[in-house]
This record gives sequence, structure tokens and C-alpha cells, in this order.
Amino acid sequence: MGESWFHREILSPRRLIFNVLFYGLQIFFFAYGWHSQATNQKLAALNALTWSVWTSRGAGLALAFNGGLILLPMLRNIIRVIRPRLAWLFPADENIWFHRQVAYSMAFWSMVHTTAHYVNFYNVERTQVRPEIALDIHYTQAGGITGHFMLFIMVLMYTTAHHKIRNQCFEAFWYTHHLAFFFMIGLYAHATGCFVRDSPDPAYQAQFPFYNTDHCLGYESWRFTIWPGIIYFGERVWREIRARRATRLSKVLVHPSGAMELRIIKPSFKYVAGQWLFIQVPDLSGFQWHPFTITSAPDDPYVSIHIRQVGDWTQALGDRVGAGPSVVAQLTQAAMKGTEKDDSVYGTRGDFVELDTNAASRPLPVVRIDGPYGAPAEDVFKVEVAVLIGAGIGVTPFASILKHIWYQQRKGHLGSLKRVEFFWVCRDAPSFGWFQTLLQEVEAAQADPNFLRINIYLTQKIGEDMLWNIAVNDAGAEYDPLTLLRTRTMFGRPDWKAIYGRMGQAIEMGQYLPGTNAQLKTKVGTYFCGPSVLAKAIKEACVANCSKNVEFSFAKEHF
Amino acid sequence: MGNLIWHEYARYVSLTATSYTIWAAFFGLFFRKYFFDFVGGIVRSPGGIQPSPSASFIVAIIVKAPVVQILSMLLGFVLLALEIPAPFLKNTAIQRSFIVKIMLLLVQFVFAILYYQGTNGAIYSLVAVCCYTRAMMLGEIPKEAKDNRGRGGKA
Repeated sequence: MGESWFHREILSPRRLIFNVLFYGLQIFFFAYGWHSQATNQKLAALNALTWSVWTSRGAGLALAFNGGLILLPMLRNIIRVIRPRLAWLFPADENIWFHRQVAYSMAFWSMVHTTAHYVNFYNVERTQVRPEIALDIHYTQAGGITGHFMLFIMVLMYTTAHHKIRNQCFEAFWYTHHLAFFFMIGLYAHATGCFVRDSPDPAYQAQFPFYNTDHCLGYESWRFTIWPGIIYFGERVWREIRARRATRLSKVLVHPSGAMELRIIKPSFKYVAGQWLFIQVPDLSGFQWHPFTITSAPDDPYVSIHIRQVGDWTQALGDRVGAGPSVVAQLTQAAMKGTEKDDSVYGTRGDFVELDTNAASRPLPVVRIDGPYGAPAEDVFKVEVAVLIGAGIGVTPFASILKHIWYQQRKGHLGSLKRVEFFWVCRDAPSFGWFQTLLQEVEAAQADPNFLRINIYLTQKIGEDMLWNIAVNDAGAEYDPLTLLRTRTMFGRPDWKAIYGRMGQAIEMGQYLPGTNAQLKTKVGTYFCGPSVLAKAIKEACVANCSKNVEFSFAKEHF
Repeated sequence: MGNLIWHEYARYVSLTATSYTIWAAFFGLFFRKYFFDFVGGIVRSPGGIQPSPSASFIVAIIVKAPVVQILSMLLGFVLLALEIPAPFLKNTAIQRSFIVKIMLLLVQFVFAILYYQGTNGAIYSLVAVCCYTRAMMLGEIPKEAKDNRGRGGKA
């Protein structure tokens, strides 16, 4: 962690632009709201309340701005469509981060707005500019009721959205966050009480919007902020319709490492490599959607996902399809400990078991899938050299990408892609047995040994037994004893600076890509999926090794 | 499904409720009003509600002198020190006890419901009390706090 938190979070160029724009706009809306209230002659009576009413109106406008923004980053389908075009403009994959920033601003302005209103209503009662008492405004008028209601919803939503709670019990977060529906209704209805008016009594009317805009002088901000809400609602309905299209779970394969592979057939489902989907199994829960990375390539006749039985939902799913946790959990635990390696060190470990659907007492469950949703790895074919780095479980999207590259290679549609370097950094290789199966297939299919290079780094501490195992089995064997690949496993953490440095040099000298002209600029794209500490190290290595002939770019994926 | 650890959740609610109450009590120092003054009170223009004479004692400790607000604020800081927790309270029996927190939150509820600004803080405190009670019923035990070992990745 070389640079300070302040430098990283506030001053890095893109962040600085964002901060200036985002917080600048917040302050602008606050100032404009304040000014337009303070200078409005029609609202002279209200302005007798002085600073508190100006503050509440300014904060109210800032809140309306945030209320319009909060749903935008959640429009997943729209983001997926526009992201290839607008990836240069904003990081479309940071949508959750942006959602959080808006939420933080919202909490702040709510505090300001509510505090100011408590003062306002106190003074309304004291001076009797309107014939009502403070508690009337708080608890009998639309503005007060919706306001207190929204605050309460915010308490529930913010507390359950804490990352600790989300990790413990995703359902608590997931269900509570759907209170947003009522929150948004509260937001759009907040001004219907006509608090901001030039008449002593609210000027209601029978037609929409049920108050007379000649006398009710609010910002009418709902006219703008309601659109993201309508679009979001439409998108949820559309997702529901799409999820109901014909879907069939055709096969369940159980891999020796304990992962289940579900092969799903859904003709209407179109995707590209590296994307992910939501899956729902109504037998287990009619509401829950769980995200998984797609592990099949678009050319496969099915959509596959690999599921490890680690949480309750995945275990219940295993039970339901007849690969019960007792069966698979044993396999998983054995694989985690690495004992499996000893049993089958002389054979390939790639054999999986297909569940016999006829013998099972129940047919396979109905599944519904929703997606696909984005990921930056779609751009692999635009660069000459693709460096794919997966760390730990972050390796899953690359299953699809490697398969896809393999299909394209067979068809001869590689675009400008000349070479692929695949890095897999993991702590305990045996737990990813299913992935090795796939790597084996891909490796075995390589005609040109230079096209795809697989580098596996094992970072766990190695015990004495394992050391002997490696020493004895590795010498002269055709396959690596740990991964059963032709590629040797490397131990310890990779030195990214050296790796990129060597790659850069090799490209410049023309050794790396035969036939490339030194005058042409070579593009090397790095696609990474894994923890952010590692991402930072790799990004630094990329930036440090850029030269005039070689351009290293970096993209990170999110779950 | 999933396994919600209630006392960890209750902590976040309690922190929210307590921060809200401290802020409300601070404003209560300047805009003093007894929440239940509408019971038997009469509205005068200007002047607002004049509480009924039977409430004169409570009006004395909220409006004439902001005793309740000050107490509520002090209690709020005590609760914050328990919940964050402050370094000198870490891993003490008081800090780990749900009963102590529930009692203090109930007292906070009583204080906060009395003055005009405290209503929401009082309601959120009650929610926190419910969550802590649930944690107690499930027999949860707070995890031993870790020593100050620094953050992961930072030496």
C-alpha cells in the first residue's frame, strides 16, 4: 500500500473528475434550492422561518437529484447494452460502487433535510403562520408521513446492506432491499401534501396530481425522478417475463472435486463468453436468484454453470438433484484437503459422474435463468496478446473465455489475437478439480504450442509430505503431479513486474510474436478477476512496462 | 436461509438509533418542546401549544431547562462507547452483555420519546432492543474481539 488512502480515493485522476462532478452537482442543487426558496416572493410567509426553510428546500432538491440517480446503476439490462459503447466514458462495472456513493449522499442530505424540517414545523407551530401544530405536519400530512416512513425504511435497508450482514445472510439483505419499492413510492408522493405553498391551507384538487400547481410551489421533482423508477420497474417485469421462457435442465454432472455442473438448455438465451447469469430453482425458493458465472462457450449447445456446494442454497440444490451434500460434501472436503490427489495420482482426475436422471426418484427440478449480464472479457479478440489472470475462485469466467477461444481457433476466427497467456493463481489447486478437466481439454487440443500458455501458481505453504510427493512424482513425468497438465505448476506468488517486463522485451525483440513488425504497436490486454490487492499490483506492472511499441491495458471483473 | 447473527445486526441498528438520538437531543437543546404537550394543551396564536398545567413538571425539565435532552445525549455517548466499542471497554463484561445494552436502549427510548425531536430515535432504539432480545433468545455469544493486529495487507 504505497500511496495514502486520501491519494487513492480522492485524487487519482478519474476519481477526481468524478468527485468534482458528483459532489459539485450535489452542492449546486443544494445552493440552487436554497436560493430559489429564499428569493421567491410568493413564499414570503414561509421565508419568515428563515434559514431552516432554506436549508430544508436545498437539501430537498439535492435529495430529489439523488433519488433520481439511485436506481440508474441498477438498470442491469440497459447497462449491459450500453457498456460496450460507453466503457471509455464511465466504468460500467462499478455500478454497485456508484449505487453506494449515491446512498451515502442520500443519508447525508436526509439528515440535513429532516433536521431542518423539525425546526420548520416547530416554528410553524410557534408563530402560527399556518393554523396547525408541529405534530399535525409530522404525522397527519403526506409530506410528514412519507418522510418518516422513508427514514424508517432507510434504517432497515442501510443496516442490512452492511457487507458483514450481506455475507452472513444474503437473504436478509435481498428481501429488505426490496422495501425500495415502497421507498420510491414514498419519494414520489412526498410533495403531494403541498407543504410548499403560498396559501394557508393546501390547495388540493380532484384531478392528477391532486394539488393545484398555482399554489403548491414545490420543485415538482417527481416529474423527473419517476422515470428511472418506471424504467427499473419495467426492467424487473421484463426480467421476469424473460425468465419464464422455456428453460430445461438437461444434465447434472458431478465433478470429483465436488462441483456440480448444470447444463441448461434455453434457446432464447444469447450470451458472450465471460458473462454471468442469475439462476432460480422454484423448488427451493420461489424468490431467490443466485448469480453464477457461465462456464460454457456461446458455441456450446447448452448453457453450463459450475456450482460448488458451500452455502445452504447450493447444498439444498445438491440434495434436490440427488447429488446430496453428504455425497458431494465428502468429495469437496476430500478435495480441499488434497487427499484426492493421492488416490488417483496415476490416472487422470478428469472423470466426472453424470447423474442418471431415470433412476432418480424425482425428475430434475425446474430452473429459470435470467441474464446474461456484462463483463469486460468480451474484448479479448481485439488485442494481439491476451493475458488472462484468474485468482482463486475468480478463475471461473475464464472457463468460458478459454473454451470460446478454443472454438474460435478451430474456426479460424481469432481476430487479431495471436497469443494467450493464462495465469491461474490459487492457494489450493485440488479444490478446483473441475477447472483442471477443462484446462486439460484445452491444452490437449492445442496444435500450436505457442498459442496458449498456461501458468499455474500455487501460493499455499507446502508441507513436507507434499514436497516429497512433488519431488518424486515430478521428475521426468510427462504431466505435472498436481494439476495433471503438461504445464508445470509454479510455487509462490508470481512476480508481475518481471513477468510483464520479460514479455515486453520479448515482444520488442520480435521473439514473442513471430512475424510482427517492430514498427507496429502491439496491444497486450490483461483481463483479471480476483481480489483487489492483486489487481492493483498487476495494474502497476502493466503501467510500468508500457513502452512506445507495446501497450499494456488492464481490465478487472466484478462479481 | 442464511444465518443472520442477530446481535451483530442489532449493533448497526443501535448505532443508527443512538447517533440519531444524539443529533436530535442536540437540536432539542435549542428548540425545546415536550412531545406529548398536545394532551390537554391549548393552541394559542402566536405561541403554539400551551401544555396543560398537569404536565408542568415534565415541561420544567424539557422546556425550562433541557435536562432530559442533556441526559439523553450523555446516555447516547455512553451507548456509542459500548457499541463501537471504545478501546478501554473492549472485551469487558459490560461491553459484551446484551442485557446492559437492552436496558440502556430502553432508557434511551424513554428519554427520546419525551422530547419533540427524539421520536424516530426512540422507535429505532426499540427496534434495536427487539434485535438484541432475539439474539438473547437464540443464545448468541459475542465473538471475542480481535487484538489490534492491524488490517490485512497493511503490515
